[in-house]
Amino acid sequence: MVNYIYTPQSDYFKCRVPLRETLQAFVVDGTLQQEGSTGLKKGKSGKGYEISFGKDSPSGKILQIISIRSHNTDGTLEYGNSISVEENSEASLLLCSHTFTMNGFQTKEKLDINISQCGRLNLVIMQNEHDRSHHNTSINIEIGRDAICKLHLVTLHGGKIDNKINISLNGKGGECNLHGLYLAGGNQEISNCVNIYHNAGECKSNQLFKGILDGNAVTRFSGTIYVEKDAQKTEAYQANNNLLSSDNATAYTKPHLEIYADDVKCSHGATVGSLDEDELFYMRSRGISLEEAKLLQQQAFANATIEDLANPELRERLTSLIESRLRGEFSECQNCDRHCC
Amino acid sequence: MANLIDIKDLHASVNDREILKGINLTVNEGEVHAIMGPNGSGKSTLSAVLAGKENYTVTGGSVTYMGKNLLEMQPEERSWAGIFLGFQYPVEIPGVTNVNFMKTAVNQHRKHNGLPPLSAAEYLKLMREKLAVVEMDPAFSSRGVNVGFSGGEKKRNEIFQMAMLDPRLAILDETDSGLDVDALRIVANGVNKLKKSTNATIVITHYQRLLDYIVPDIVHVLYKGRIIKSAGKELAMEVEKRGYDWLINDNQ
Repeated sequence: MVNYIYTPQSDYFKCRVPLRETLQAFVVDGTLQQEGSTGLKKGKSGKGYEISFGKDSPSGKILQIISIRSHNTDGTLEYGNSISVEENSEASLLLCSHTFTMNGFQTKEKLDINISQCGRLNLVIMQNEHDRSHHNTSINIEIGRDAICKLHLVTLHGGKIDNKINISLNGKGGECNLHGLYLAGGNQEISNCVNIYHNAGECKSNQLFKGILDGNAVTRFSGTIYVEKDAQKTEAYQANNNLLSSDNATAYTKPHLEIYADDVKCSHGATVGSLDEDELFYMRSRGISLEEAKLLQQQAFANATIEDLANPELRERLTSLIESRLRGEFSECQNCDRHCC
Repeated sequence: MANLIDIKDLHASVNDREILKGINLTVNEGEVHAIMGPNGSGKSTLSAVLAGKENYTVTGGSVTYMGKNLLEMQPEERSWAGIFLGFQYPVEIPGVTNVNFMKTAVNQHRKHNGLPPLSAAEYLKLMREKLAVVEMDPAFSSRGVNVGFSGGEKKRNEIFQMAMLDPRLAILDETDSGLDVDALRIVANGVNKLKKSTNATIVITHYQRLLDYIVPDIVHVLYKGRIIKSAGKELAMEVEKRGYDWLINDNQ
């Protein structure tokens, strides 16, 4: 029987999944492997996890929750998780989804997040599965008065990824920064549907979603910002930019604003473009091959979504994962005999 | 002095309009050539064709570079073979830092020559040494390629890149445009410091001014896609004094 609990001594996870200097917890096929020091508890149904960050929770240290689909289950797996950040507390979380199996499967995951007054959550979600995986993630975030949520959602790989994100700003002075990156190649489909509800005044939301598409990939971005009648002095911005590296890839984008208040600053914008020929020629004239020149341009495009990450190690890790993915190296990791991805 | 490039009866067009109408030019190792000419004479087209820019169609003639057919080579292959184009309008690449850009370029050259990539320390040493050639602050290396650079900084960056890549044949397209006197001196000094007996430079310019600093062995005047006169450096002085009209009239 395989022991899925990470121990730094074992070479079981010598691959690049766990991040050094973080607390780690593993969720295998929806089941939390170890309760205890990290503060995580199993969900009420036995599946999923719950965690609450209070004033006494260690801050500054990232908790990494690694969810893995193993060889033991195929078919559909459904579970829910919840994260709460109490008043005046701060938490930094990295949620990664990976697989040990190349079989087709579907995961339906629900994530409820509550950030109380003056709380602060730094959340990075990294999705890295394979061409035959289906993953539906439904995220609900409630943000209280003067609370701040920073969310980075990085979709590196997946057959069919469907992210639904609902964010409610419920108290004055709340803030939400949302950065998304999706890399889609082959016949992959990635959808991001984001609804932001400005229910209270003087809140800020800022969304930047960027996608790089290759092959026959299809991506969808649908973003709506609702500003309620009483949510005066709202600032809400939304941008979706797509870079098509292939003629057969398709990016759908639907930015949308619904504003019922009259004293607001809101903007939305969407672009779908291709690589810049002048930049490519300039780089090639310096001896950078066409392939590398494209890569540099794609990396530059993607970087804008992760450059504001506070943790340098995490930023570096993501940068290198993005590079591997853009080089097409990442469908299956060869670092150990598990060949996870 | 070995021959570096031999251009014979080169014809080229852009959007079906013929711009180059039979260029003949031979450049040997150790030489500095200047190509002058009024606006629209084809100077920039010539440099773009030599660097391999798309959208330029060669309709006739040949270009032999160190024994090879240059026109069959991809832009990056031309760079690996030692050709360098200093752009009249250097391109801004937001999000790609100068250090990443140049490190990639240098290491691609090394890979092509069967050498291992430079370590971070080796690269830094080389970079600092070459930045000094154009009196540039090392702080610039973390900025995006040419992003937010002044006209002078962009041109200094071109010469810095030239220093890093150590080309056999550098083609400098209007390197003097947009430069004040101090920047012009720095850029020209940079070019002069890089001069060797085994490399050559083609300086493309509107004005004689640059040629006070970079002294050419041969000056060519390009007009309507042809070289209508070639002579020593005194030709540049004469153009400065009398303009191009007398040459054009002589030619017609």
